[in-house]
Amino acid sequence: MNTKVDDYQDQVYNFNGLWDLPSICGLKIVKKGKNTFIIVTDLYDENPGTSITEWNTKLAKEICDKYSIDYNQIIYIEHTPNKQTKLSFNQESFFKVSFDIYDDKFENPQWQEITKEEIDKLLTV
Amino acid sequence: MKFQLIFPKWRKLEGQTTFNLPPHGAVVFAATIPDYVEVEFIDNNLEELKYDDDVDFVGISMLLTTQIKNGWAIADEYRKRGKKVIFGGIATMLHAEETMLHADSVFLGEAESHMDKVFSDFKNGELKQVYNHMNDLPPIEIVGPARRDLYKRELYYHKGVQMVDLFHASRGCKYSCYPCAVSYLGGRNFRPRPIDKVVEELATIENNRLFIVDNSLAQDTQWEKDLFKEMIPFKKKWVSHTIEDKPEVLDLAAQAGAWYVYQAVFDTSDYIRRRVKQYHDYGIGVEGTILLGLDNQTEDDIKRLIDFLLEIDLDLAEFTVLAPFPHTKAYVDLVKQNRIFNKDWNDYNAGQVVYQPKHMSPERLQELYQYAWDTFYKDESQEEKMFKLLKKVVSREIEDGTFRKPVKDLSRLSFGKNVKHKIS
Repeated sequence: MNTKVDDYQDQVYNFNGLWDLPSICGLKIVKKGKNTFIIVTDLYDENPGTSITEWNTKLAKEICDKYSIDYNQIIYIEHTPNKQTKLSFNQESFFKVSFDIYDDKFENPQWQEITKEEIDKLLTV
Repeated sequence: MKFQLIFPKWRKLEGQTTFNLPPHGAVVFAATIPDYVEVEFIDNNLEELKYDDDVDFVGISMLLTTQIKNGWAIADEYRKRGKKVIFGGIATMLHAEETMLHADSVFLGEAESHMDKVFSDFKNGELKQVYNHMNDLPPIEIVGPARRDLYKRELYYHKGVQMVDLFHASRGCKYSCYPCAVSYLGGRNFRPRPIDKVVEELATIENNRLFIVDNSLAQDTQWEKDLFKEMIPFKKKWVSHTIEDKPEVLDLAAQAGAWYVYQAVFDTSDYIRRRVKQYHDYGIGVEGTILLGLDNQTEDDIKRLIDFLLEIDLDLAEFTVLAPFPHTKAYVDLVKQNRIFNKDWNDYNAGQVVYQPKHMSPERLQELYQYAWDTFYKDESQEEKMFKLLKKVVSREIEDGTFRKPVKDLSRLSFGKNVKHKIS
């Protein structure tokens, strides 16, 4: 059963990555109660610039600032879509990323792999 | 103004035949330096550095991750002596932030059309910490012939036989392969050089054997065919990465002097078997490049792959283990999974396991890497297989009148050093 979503974004997001390289990712924002889910999708084949993982400390802060999201209330997820090849390392993956936040800076990213089912559950409970 | 351009040395892989080829990127870069600058090129793999040379400005050109720590140490020495040091090249771009700690300046991107500004800034004492041209690649049309005149030629001979000259006909790559950083370095765009520019450069190269270092020539069939057609009159013999396996392309490649090509062998499929046979049918040799340690490989898969290589009649095989270079998908995936346990860049030589493989221990993958080399070359050593390939090219050269005898004066030297003869 779906719960009501207070706010929702689903878009291709443009950002300046490492060395100002124009970069893109998929961005889904789902606000649920106190928490805001930020799901960034790596668009490897379409992204001319920096990967979401290599830029995540900057990207997470940038998204929070742009959409006025409380740094301490985010559940930040990196999503790599299935590249439709037979190679296992090209399959879909989700990682929940936690950051240490000091003086408005996101640091020390820690990744925890989660399944699509777990994501669905988090979003629908 | 005297500019010393240095290509740092790196630790070579144990047990493998070492060939020192004339570095390419450094002399392509050198061609972009203003005429008023006197350039001296030092290949540190073959020459020791003399830090007290009378030079005004030092450039360090870095190609490989395994080269960078030595590059930094060299820069530190020059800077201690008050010299300004600028870094550039592929490995500089991959490791820019770390490199900045050892540099007065780093140049990121491709050098064409930017060096007037850099050298003018140096002269005026206004050298910038970073010249960021990552997003500002030059038009491919302005890429000119490399400064091969800067090589100390006698250093690139082994027992009188000249090593191939490196050459590029394109930049960038439209593919984005798992272990490769090319898309980060040059964008995911294939940028072929205009054929007349390629021909112009080919005409400047005296060497009759080349290594075309492009990431892959198999990206634009018409351009590839045009390139090979124009290469035919030069009668050069060449090695390259992948070319297309269409009959009309292979036919032209063979006429243009294709000696052997690198072919990635990633599985035991009929596709690979057929492709190797197709190359051979056109008289083109094949060196298989085999990457070990991907997440889809178990120990049995690796052993099966090695057996397969022996079946398909490869001329040579080169084995590597996955090295997660920064800015690759491989790196990003392994970082996320916390599987990289060694961050000593000296060990990122594609022969040393620096991460936790998915289906075996790092030690086991290291053993399988050695097993792959040993098994493939059990009945015929790497040197013997190379000699066979050399004999093939010599026959073709004799046929078309381009063969050059080994240089007698250099017959006792290998890359500038005396050859040690084994006495049995």
